[in-house]
Amino acid sequence: MSAVYKRELASYFRSPVGYIALALFSFLSGFVFINQYGDGSVNISSEIMSLCSFFVVIIPVITMGLFSEDKKRGTEVLFYTNPVSMFEVVLGKFFAALTLIGILFLNVILHMIITAASGGVVNIGSWGSVIVYFCLAILFTSIGILASALTDTQIISAIVSFVTILVIQLLQTISTIASSAFASLLSSSVLELEPEKVNKASTNLAAAIAWLSPFSKTQDFRYGVFSIAPLVFCISMALVFLFLTYRILEKKRWSQN
Amino acid sequence: MIEINNLVKRYGDIKAVNGISFTVNDGEVLGFLGPNGAGKSTTMNIITGYLSSTSGSVKVNGHDILEEPEEAKKCIGYLPEQPPLYFDMTVLEYLNFICDLKKVPKKDRKEQLASILSMIKLVDMADRLIGNLSKGYKQRVGIAQALVGNPDILILDEPTVGLDPNQILEIRKLIRKLADNHTVILSSHILSEIQAVCDRVVIINQGKVAAIDTITDLSSRLSGSTKLSLSFKGPVKEVVNKLKSIPGVNNVVSVVSNDDVAIHQVEITADSSVKNDVRSSVFYAMSKGGWPMLEFRSMDPSLEEIFLSITSA
Repeated sequence: MSAVYKRELASYFRSPVGYIALALFSFLSGFVFINQYGDGSVNISSEIMSLCSFFVVIIPVITMGLFSEDKKRGTEVLFYTNPVSMFEVVLGKFFAALTLIGILFLNVILHMIITAASGGVVNIGSWGSVIVYFCLAILFTSIGILASALTDTQIISAIVSFVTILVIQLLQTISTIASSAFASLLSSSVLELEPEKVNKASTNLAAAIAWLSPFSKTQDFRYGVFSIAPLVFCISMALVFLFLTYRILEKKRWSQN
Repeated sequence: MIEINNLVKRYGDIKAVNGISFTVNDGEVLGFLGPNGAGKSTTMNIITGYLSSTSGSVKVNGHDILEEPEEAKKCIGYLPEQPPLYFDMTVLEYLNFICDLKKVPKKDRKEQLASILSMIKLVDMADRLIGNLSKGYKQRVGIAQALVGNPDILILDEPTVGLDPNQILEIRKLIRKLADNHTVILSSHILSEIQAVCDRVVIINQGKVAAIDTITDLSSRLSGSTKLSLSFKGPVKEVVNKLKSIPGVNNVVSVVSNDDVAIHQVEITADSSVKNDVRSSVFYAMSKGGWPMLEFRSMDPSLEEIFLSITSA
């Protein structure tokens, strides 16, 4: 695992990818921070939350080449024909991407230090947001890796992970739209249902969709209210995606077409 | 030693490999020969564990490639058709990465890489980016990669494809050198290459083994008669009649004639048996007639002819 991890992490900084991600993230986080600093009220939690919404761009950039490039260059043969297990390879690449995201986060650490030094508030809620940041990073990176194992074109992999992460980010909005659409469908004259039942059904639907959103699950963390369920949710989802990635790569060996 | 037993690989309805069995002995250089699409690469991919077979088994030094993959893969160095290189790494970084993958102990690493680099003549290129190397050097890095971890068995899939004649010669020389202490399986559709390097040849065609033998045995098996080519100075009709009268000679055909200088070339077809070698009789006949022989050689069928006759049959 360490072999793949070391290579991937180093390769981020041999190609423009690592620098682009770093520049982009530094700019965005710096921009948000400076704005708040200028107003005289820095809120680290809200800075981190806005940065998390940029994951939709940053994580596809980071993960798009992880397996697709190996497939295209033919270097994936190395993983199949050397004495390493494919799951180690998946984990190595996953942790390399996660490490890069951790390096990006040094920006925020810097902002926290500046805030604390100039008498601002860095409280338990800030650290809660840090946990949220990494939870979401773990989940989205695993999605990005799965997308890159599906194709041998970086762009397609980037688009797939972009769209998936976008949908996850919009789950709460989607739930509202879906429930009102559902409600108007049910209350149409053909079905003739009682308004109470319609109301209940559409609310339940909204709740069901929103339940999937890792954002709504972790929203209390920024106020210092912690629970274990969101962490379990993110990490177990990530494990599912990593396992799927592993199966897709193994499938190539057994495929008969 | 590699034992391949009744290997089948099915892609949909097509059987890319259809019941191949053979054994590669220790220390041998085995040529793997076949037309495009015969199943060479598929078979090699199965031996190295890159693909799985639909049925049949591959045992590498006694380890089944599916049941004990790690043990089996440790014994094999593989150079696929397209060398698996990372263009953004230097040669040394890349080989260190391969050492990591193959779990070469840290303390042996420096020594091993130094010996590989000097053997493959890559020392001067060690710090260059792989992406900037010429095709021949990239191929060498590919071979170096296969040598990391001192595997007993090397599997090289068309190692000289796309190289210029000089590079081809060098790679061949290298393979012969490697054969001193490795078992080598070499696939190619360049027949002279196989002829130059290999002890034994497996010819596969349409996913099946068409022939397994040494090159000399293959050629003698193919032809019950030998062909001789003779150039001489003298009257062509008279000579041909004289030659035809020699016992054992079946046919004499005039190939090239130049009446101005009276130089002719004929092809003699004769029985091939050690007891009744017609060559000395031909010599004495020519000498008696006072016709100087300018060239006299036997025309053993080349691997090319063997290959064509086996794969087109």
